[in-house]
Amino acid sequence: MDWLIFGVLSLWLLISVGGAVLVKNPIHSILFFLSAVLATAGLFLALGAELLAGLQIIIYAVAIVVFYVLVITTIPWEKVKRFEGVYKKELIFGVPLLLLVFAMIAYGIYRGKLHDPAIMKADSVRDLGKTLFTSYLFPFEVASVILLVAMIGAILLGRKEE
Amino acid sequence: MTLEKAYILLGILVFLMGLLGVIVRKNLITILVSTEIMLNGVNLVLVAVDRYLGNVEGQIFALFVLTVAAAEVAVGLGLVVSIFRLRGYEGSSEVVHLRD
Repeated sequence: MDWLIFGVLSLWLLISVGGAVLVKNPIHSILFFLSAVLATAGLFLALGAELLAGLQIIIYAVAIVVFYVLVITTIPWEKVKRFEGVYKKELIFGVPLLLLVFAMIAYGIYRGKLHDPAIMKADSVRDLGKTLFTSYLFPFEVASVILLVAMIGAILLGRKEE
Repeated sequence: MTLEKAYILLGILVFLMGLLGVIVRKNLITILVSTEIMLNGVNLVLVAVDRYLGNVEGQIFALFVLTVAAAEVAVGLGLVVSIFRLRGYEGSSEVVHLRD
């Protein structure tokens, strides 16, 4: 049953990612990316990470995708149409190279031995919250500072020059 | 070939496909989308290894990756819009000078 869920979701994810990388129109590419995000949220649920699945949907599928589409609407469409699609030569050279890299990594992982799996925890959200707000409290606060700095930077970059 | 290894291989494949997108796409906005796909692949590997080890640290790292992704998309799209406003084009083959 686990393998069936993994097969369906991974096939969905790979088709979506391939479409997002290779399709011509930028809007279609972003919609394929939205589909890939939903498939990833499903994989997180299958892995027992419920909190990350929810955050994935809230942050990626709602905030980031809407932000991309809004930014594309601010750019004149004929300027977007001038540069769409992929570079053919780079595609011809890039696909075999990355397949070679993937084959080497996959061979290493297939032959390697991982540590013995531990017992699956029943309530991972509670453990995650406890660990996040005790051991990782300082990185959590630093992340909020990073978001603040990114917001100020985006406002500065997007401002019209006087 | 256990299920966890399959999850790790899937995450690596998603990462490499995002890298291919960064290499081959012409439009700057779709290059940013490809970097988001790479971050998704990293998250998948982190959560899979986390389940394998039975801890929650991998999920916390994935949460920080989500934070960095949100910050990156804000700054990156601001940069793309300002490049477009200053220079008037947005093809990745024409943005080759740092300043002029």
